[in-house]
Amino acid sequence: MRPYVFDLERSARGLRLNRFLHGLANGEKRTLFVKDPEKAMQNLSEQEKALVRALDWRAMMDCGASFFCLEKLARAKGVSNPEMVAAFRGETLEQFLKTRRVPGAR
Amino acid sequence: MARIIGGIGTSHVPTLAMAHDKARQDDPDWRPLFEGYAPVARWLAEKKPDVLFVCFNDHATTFLFDLYPTFALGVSERYEIADEGAGPRKVPPLRGHAGLARHVARALVADEFDLTLFQDLALDHGLHSPLTLLWPSQPDWPGKVVPLVVNVLQHPLPRPRRCFALGKALRKAIEGYPEDLKVVVVGTGGLSHQLIGERAGFNNEAWDREFLELIERDPERLAAMPIEDYMRLGGNEGAEVIMWLIMRGALEPQVKKVHSSYYLPMTTAMAVAVFE
Repeated sequence: MRPYVFDLERSARGLRLNRFLHGLANGEKRTLFVKDPEKAMQNLSEQEKALVRALDWRAMMDCGASFFCLEKLARAKGVSNPEMVAAFRGETLEQFLKTRRVPGAR
Repeated sequence: MARIIGGIGTSHVPTLAMAHDKARQDDPDWRPLFEGYAPVARWLAEKKPDVLFVCFNDHATTFLFDLYPTFALGVSERYEIADEGAGPRKVPPLRGHAGLARHVARALVADEFDLTLFQDLALDHGLHSPLTLLWPSQPDWPGKVVPLVVNVLQHPLPRPRRCFALGKALRKAIEGYPEDLKVVVVGTGGLSHQLIGERAGFNNEAWDREFLELIERDPERLAAMPIEDYMRLGGNEGAEVIMWLIMRGALEPQVKKVHSSYYLPMTTAMAVAVFE
């Protein structure tokens, strides 16, 4: 079983999107994304732009986004990792936290 | 001559940094974490190593997939704290031991480990989320670091056996440095976790416990395991524990685990262990 292996094919497919996401770790690019998201996203495809606007973590990953690049977008938008993990599981945050030993540790 | 006085294996979960920076020491949800790391911080305060040689992975922060090195060694005197999307942590820049790092670079390349070398780049939580639980950071760090960045994100990853062999070569390299230095080698990552896909949230405490035994007593067995087994047993992202094998390879064949703690509150099993 090798699901979701971030291999060279996935990496090539996601490079444009990952470049954009990685850029959000740069303060100036992040400010631009907050002020004028459409300009900040101008190099992305229409599909990618729609997924970024919707914070659709699962679909962005299917487009080749690395989890660790998605984390930059999550931090910029104030989304926590447990919220992202819940989304990958198809659960709400509350549902996910019920499966954890210490739901407050976040 | 420089000598290795011990090794530390530690998780590098970003919430280690969050719990530290928000001073959650007295929060019952986080107290077990701090209690697990306190003996390691005391061990370091007592042994006073000059350098921590830290094997960790970048999280697509310093490097991106347009250029993603398999093994990259930092050889400069200073590393800034990287911005990972919410501004850099408010801890001092890391002080690098450039002399030791450059010596290690020369020695490892001579030993046929063809490393990528970097200077003056900002580094992410892979290095400094555990560091703030190990060393005081105020007013400044008590010692220097040498960062070794390992690709555990983009497959193909280095083989576990190669990580172990790199650790053995690293021991020779460090011991060949003429200055009297006390060095602790740190391997970071893990333990079990998976962050993506339908299996997101996966943990395997039984495997984690077995790993903590094997890394002490039978690292050869861990080195012989294919990466697919690490992913199956410890989760996709949990396979990063192969970086502990670099640390273990740099220690004597027989070591004693003098401390170990394990805490699994949320998504990633948080472990720390000290070997002498």
